[in-house]
Amino acid sequence: MIISLHNVKPLYMSDAEIEGSEIYDKESVFFEKGKKYLITANSGHGKTSILNFIYGINTNFNGNIIYSENTNSVFDLRKSKISYIFQDLKLFPDLTVFENIQLKNNLTNYKLVEEITSLIEEVLLGHKKDTLVEKLSLGQKQRVAILRALCQPFEFLLLDEPFSHLDKDNIRIITNIINREVKTQGAGLIMTSLDKTYNLEFDKMLNL
Amino acid sequence: MLIKLQKKTLVPSQIIGYALTLFIGAIILLVTTQFYFDINPILFQQTDVFKDKSAVISKNISVLKTMDKEKIYFTDKEIKNLKNQPFTKDISEFHSATFKINASSNKTESAPLFYTDLFFESIADKYLDVETDEWHWDPSIDFIPIIIPENYLNLYNFGFAESQGLPVLSQNTISQVEFNIQISGNGKLGKYKSKIVGFSNKVNSILVPEDFLFWANKEFGETKENKTSRILIEFYNPSDEKILEYFNNNNYSINKEELEFSKLVFFLKSALVAIFIIACIIIILSVAFVVLSFNLIIQKNKELLINLFNIGYSYKRIAKFYQLIISVITFVSISLAIYVSNLIRDSYLLKLSSLFESIKIPNSALWYGMLLIFLLILAYNILFIRNIKTIVLPRKNYINK
Repeated sequence: MIISLHNVKPLYMSDAEIEGSEIYDKESVFFEKGKKYLITANSGHGKTSILNFIYGINTNFNGNIIYSENTNSVFDLRKSKISYIFQDLKLFPDLTVFENIQLKNNLTNYKLVEEITSLIEEVLLGHKKDTLVEKLSLGQKQRVAILRALCQPFEFLLLDEPFSHLDKDNIRIITNIINREVKTQGAGLIMTSLDKTYNLEFDKMLNL
Repeated sequence: MLIKLQKKTLVPSQIIGYALTLFIGAIILLVTTQFYFDINPILFQQTDVFKDKSAVISKNISVLKTMDKEKIYFTDKEIKNLKNQPFTKDISEFHSATFKINASSNKTESAPLFYTDLFFESIADKYLDVETDEWHWDPSIDFIPIIIPENYLNLYNFGFAESQGLPVLSQNTISQVEFNIQISGNGKLGKYKSKIVGFSNKVNSILVPEDFLFWANKEFGETKENKTSRILIEFYNPSDEKILEYFNNNNYSINKEELEFSKLVFFLKSALVAIFIIACIIIILSVAFVVLSFNLIIQKNKELLINLFNIGYSYKRIAKFYQLIISVITFVSISLAIYVSNLIRDSYLLKLSSLFESIKIPNSALWYGMLLIFLLILAYNILFIRNIKTIVLPRKNYINK
């Protein structure tokens, strides 16, 4: 799958704010399956916006986003083509760690219960598996949100500042898992971040 | 997982409130509808006492009219107007004899000796409820057949004969008795033989064949003008409320008790309609209540629903839980209402069957209940999907090609 952006410009940003951007208001920007992209920018430059535009959560932009898949709506891609790790996590505090992940997995039955359990253990949350998410720390929640996003088939993985609350050890563990999953699925990766200090090898870096 | 999450968004008291009001509303609705269908044939049977669907009308006699007798007659305009009423199928005027009549008996063993002044009236034969071969007048024979109301005989047998120590007479006996009729007027005198050939339940008058009366009025009549004081009117539907309304407005009197019954039918029907409307209001309120509750639930849990949508659940799948809950509750409430309304029906049918002939009306409450279930569930499903869709979709959707 290829995602192409044509003259995409947020309705709520001025020309001055997007000046020098390698994505906004450009005639064509392509994201190809199997490649890793890093989008960097300072706060308030629309990093979350660009991922939300691609995922279809935010439609307040001019221009076009075209998916090479034959689909009527971007919403149809969410189950099997595009997965998204939200900056605000969007977890369900009333459900346990396992239930939050299983809620997503139930949609596609992509992973077995054992696989989910072993992933939870891998990110050092084995002892919190049946704890309500509302009782977790922000860093723990972030790990749950990442695991949840991996429990579906995808051709693109969108990550919105996914490691902001994680320490180096945890970042290493998580990036290993992400690398593994992306490689297994042959998927593309689009990540936004404030800087470039993660051990993911990016094919392309774009400045917003 | 999804169910666990969405179950928490529900408010049990609201669901119970909805189930209860729907249950009560549906019981009242089904019972009134079923009751209406059940008693309808009884009402029709009763009004069928009017087999001929006709009644005799005259003008009300007031103090004023006793002084001016002309006012008791119907004018041509009034007759025409009556004929043009939507409830009138046909009308027939009563013709009165305009000559003097007296009757006397010969002394026999079976009948007492009597002498009395009489009057004659006639109506078209087709309105008579008496079938007899003797009901014809032959100018060559001096015989006049007479029909009297059945209640005259009853008056004689149970009133007059009793107090005077006279023998009681059966219809058969009295039909055998021949008596003399003397007609006078216009300076002429006529003598005839006569017999009572039938008893009428319908027409409260002493009747002779119409052709005889026309002839006799010409021959012996004091006035040439034909005046009508009584009219036999045939209705399309005697239970029509407009009949009474029209008669009251025009100050006509009608001597049929069954019109009183139709008044009763009217009140009963009005009461049923009122209860039916109340039941509809209860149901509408319960539906409005649950729709409002549902909208509050989705507004209150907007974030949760949007998050579900954002992790890949379709709005149809999100709505499914609420659709299922409301469908099951609606189904159970109305099914119970059908069951209870059947119990109520059984108990009133038992009472009715002791008063009237057995009723063999199929139970339609089941079908009306099913129809109600179907309509409500259909409406909820459409509404819930629409509302959830509005909540979870981003404000400006776009199609990608």
